Amino acid sequence: MLLKLNNLSKWVQSGGQKIHLLKDVSFWVNEGDFISVMGPSGSGKSTLLNIIGMLDDFNEGEYTFMDEAVHNLKEKHRSNLYKQYIGFVFQSYHLIDELTVKENLEMPLLYKKHGGAERKALVADMLDRFNIVGKKDLFPAQLSGGQQQLVGIARALIANPKLILADEPTGNLNSKQGEEIMDIFTQLNKEGVTIIQVTHSEKNMKYGSRVINLLDGSIVTG
Amino acid sequence: MIKNYFKIAWRNALRQKQFSILNIIGLSIGIATCFIIGFYVHSELSYDMFHEKGDRIYRVNQPDIWGDWEEQVSSTGPNVAIALREDVPEFEEVTRILNTGAQILRVQDDVESNVYNEEFYYAAEENFFDIFSFPWLKGNKATALGQPMSMILSEEKAKIYFGNNDPIGKTVEVKDWQGHWQTYTVKGVIENIPYKSHLQFDVLVSLSSFSDQMKRDGWKWIWTAFGTYALVKEGTDISTLTDKLQAIPPKWAPPTTERIFNQTFEEFTKGYPWKLDLQPLKEIYRSGSPDFHTFGPTGNPMYVKIFGAIGILVLILSSINFMNLSTARSSKRAKEIGVRKVLGSQKTALIKQFILESTLFVFLGTFIALLLVQLSLGVFNTIANTELELLTYLSNPLFLVIVGVFILMLGIISGSYPAFYLSAFRPAETLKGKISSRFKGKGVRNSLVIFQFTISIALVICTLFVQKQLKYTSSLDIGFNRDHILQIHNIEQLGFDTESLKTKLQSNPAFDKVGKSFGLPPNIWTGDRYKTTEGNSDVVQLRNVRTEEDYLDLLGVEFVAGRNFDTSARPNDKYKVILNEEAVKKLGWGIKDNYANESPIGKIVALASGDEDEFEVIGVVKDFNFNSVRQEIGPLVIIHHQNDKVWDYGAGLSYYSMRLHQESFTNASDIQEVITSVQEEIAQIDPSFPFEYSFMDQDFNNTFVAEQQMGLVLNIFTVMALIIACLGLFGLAAFTAEQRVKELGIRKVLGAKISELVVLFTSEFAKLIIISIAIAIPIAYFLVDDWLTNFAYRTSIDLWVFALAAVFALAITVLTVSFQALKSALVNPVESLRAE
Repeated sequence: MLLKLNNLSKWVQSGGQKIHLLKDVSFWVNEGDFISVMGPSGSGKSTLLNIIGMLDDFNEGEYTFMDEAVHNLKEKHRSNLYKQYIGFVFQSYHLIDELTVKENLEMPLLYKKHGGAERKALVADMLDRFNIVGKKDLFPAQLSGGQQQLVGIARALIANPKLILADEPTGNLNSKQGEEIMDIFTQLNKEGVTIIQVTHSEKNMKYGSRVINLLDGSIVTG
Repeated sequence: MIKNYFKIAWRNALRQKQFSILNIIGLSIGIATCFIIGFYVHSELSYDMFHEKGDRIYRVNQPDIWGDWEEQVSSTGPNVAIALREDVPEFEEVTRILNTGAQILRVQDDVESNVYNEEFYYAAEENFFDIFSFPWLKGNKATALGQPMSMILSEEKAKIYFGNNDPIGKTVEVKDWQGHWQTYTVKGVIENIPYKSHLQFDVLVSLSSFSDQMKRDGWKWIWTAFGTYALVKEGTDISTLTDKLQAIPPKWAPPTTERIFNQTFEEFTKGYPWKLDLQPLKEIYRSGSPDFHTFGPTGNPMYVKIFGAIGILVLILSSINFMNLSTARSSKRAKEIGVRKVLGSQKTALIKQFILESTLFVFLGTFIALLLVQLSLGVFNTIANTELELLTYLSNPLFLVIVGVFILMLGIISGSYPAFYLSAFRPAETLKGKISSRFKGKGVRNSLVIFQFTISIALVICTLFVQKQLKYTSSLDIGFNRDHILQIHNIEQLGFDTESLKTKLQSNPAFDKVGKSFGLPPNIWTGDRYKTTEGNSDVVQLRNVRTEEDYLDLLGVEFVAGRNFDTSARPNDKYKVILNEEAVKKLGWGIKDNYANESPIGKIVALASGDEDEFEVIGVVKDFNFNSVRQEIGPLVIIHHQNDKVWDYGAGLSYYSMRLHQESFTNASDIQEVITSVQEEIAQIDPSFPFEYSFMDQDFNNTFVAEQQMGLVLNIFTVMALIIACLGLFGLAAFTAEQRVKELGIRKVLGAKISELVVLFTSEFAKLIIISIAIAIPIAYFLVDDWLTNFAYRTSIDLWVFALAAVFALAITVLTVSFQALKSALVNPVESLRAE
């Protein structure tokens, strides 16, 4: 088992009232899963993904990631944990505008303190694998959305994570680009990477092996 | 990793060119201003530092025995040094110097003899160079001043007099007060006196050259023309020594008071202590030497304080700007920070990145500032009359350390706010771009803007009042018309009888009136002790000037009682005197309205020095300013210059003044022509006459030269502060405009007019400025009020000046901000709203 959520809740205070973003969410993920989280706007999909990615806090419940109790960890440990095992892919790519493709890819390695030669090799490997060698010195603004998302995925993968969290990875792309991205995810999953994607689209859902449906912060089926 | 930070910093700077440039310019101007002021202040504080024994050298000051006994002045009698040598073993050396005033020198070279008028001409004793270490070039320092008729020249003068020949052993002739040429031998050459010295001289002669006069008058305590300097022995406790000195005047001064004034010491001092104090050499310049320091420049501690404060304020202003803009800008970096965090960056790494970035900016700003300093120092030196050089500072390790520390500090301070603030966010929030929509720190930024404008507005108000005061003093009614009066100096060189010259001058149609005087407003400093002959009246100190009826005519002073001299009709008038109203009051003869009851006319004044000469008052003139309008009008006795019963009859500097006949002058060259013709006329009488002239209105203006200089420098720095504040405001407005573009778009969709949007946007900034104005006005009022106490005649603190400054500040704000407001109001809402 890769991770497990147990009765996890998150809420915000608004006008003296508790508004639940997530309520008593429990599920687990095994290594090699490809999970699609679905639900209407505001159902808590992104919040759930952020919590799994340790980018956000929760108020109640337990979260175990690779046998570590995340809810008991200090910020620094948590940061080390996701740095090592989790890669993120965003709907709006979130590449750093001032850095080139190559430099964007290199960024996670810098924070993991890889040596220069190793960084170079890993970046070259990724550029090659995603067929973007020719684009390595371009800035994000010079790329199409699909290409930017390719770089985003490459960046997520470069540190060799066990889990990829993708928040509507095709949301800003046209259908052809979207299909290509989903094919890449399928391929990655086959190679053993666990994937959790948040999606609106029935079509993308079908790439996954399991579906979690959220409504108003609670799991409806899963 | 560091490389990555540099790269990001550089590319960010490039991407936001406008911000970067504003930021760097503002910072550079601020730092440059601070450097220049820093140099100036440092220079003012580092006078007289080159003397090897400097920390043991003291000047002996004593009370102003001719006026305010509670005020210490720097001139002492010749006997003080003798008393100190005899009675105080704690002194290793005591020396006197005498400022003889300008002298006429004649130097014979192979071809001809040249005449020079030397202004910085002092007499000093043999041990002068045992105390002061002015660097020697030629001659024997130990013996050079040992003999009478010895002379030491500055390098520059030696070169002028003798060219490349060795000046040692050559002779120089000096005209004495009787018109005889006295021959001096050059015994030494010293380097030109550094400008940072409170003693400035070009020519130094041995005091023993005046042995006759020293024998006759050397015992006097009232010949206060000397500077007395002492070198104390090592390890001497100065306060104990100062206490000990207080026994000297009661022991040594009584012969002076008894023989000259027929008064006991106590009577003479009216019970005030004749206090001797020791002023450390390094304090002399910087503390703004007391009055009657006639040997060189004195500093003005008030200006050092004012400029120091402005320098620090401008630096604070520009640092605030820098922080404000950096912080505002950094919210645009929220996404980058979010991504970095998601990719595993720790908080410390982000903080490091931001601080490194801002330090880099400050470094660049400092570098540009140094260039600006180099470019503008020449202009500053001209305005402020200084000789500052960047290179001397750049080669000073301490300066470099200070600059380094400054760069680090400002970098850390301005980098840490965005660093700590932004890095504290959870990445999930920053990635959603939440920060930019509710970016905090607005309160902080607004208060910083208020602070900046408070300072700038206060500076503007102060500047306006400085100008107003200068204008007021120059247009003040001083009791006579000071315009169009040409004055020829050095008339004493022609001997006492100059009637033939006067006749010639009078016949010149260019002159309405011609008159001779021994002293010129605004520089009438002579004075004496007088009493009335009624009962046992008090002795009072009155200023006096010796002149003639024509001069009073020329000035056009108004008589409130009695009449002018009339020596042609009544020869005895030369033994009569004229008083001003203040003198009448001081002598206890009532005030003007009371003259009818008790007329001062016909009363008698007498010199209080024990002589029995009595002078009848024949007239009273309305008070007029015979000194700078900086001070109140003092009591004045006008004595006829042919009065041979006064002790200084015939001596002293004298002048001819001419009121120009205005119709004869249509342009400046006419005036020059007339001056040349006068010069030629005098040259016929005495070819060696050192021709020198001045105009009285200029002399009056010159008494405010320090204030004018300060006014000019203040103007410049006020403009600097304004520019910096406006740059900051502009940047902030640009930032806010960007932030609010969506809001403005929505308002526009909902029907707001462009003008309404501009007003909405601008008024928010105007509010801040109004708050600044409200704070600045009382501060400025306090400062101006305080500064004006330095003047006897003060301009009124009018409301309209404050109003003007306020309107000006608001206008500048509206100009600065509305551009941005208009820019964002004109954006098509389709554009601005699509972005989400």
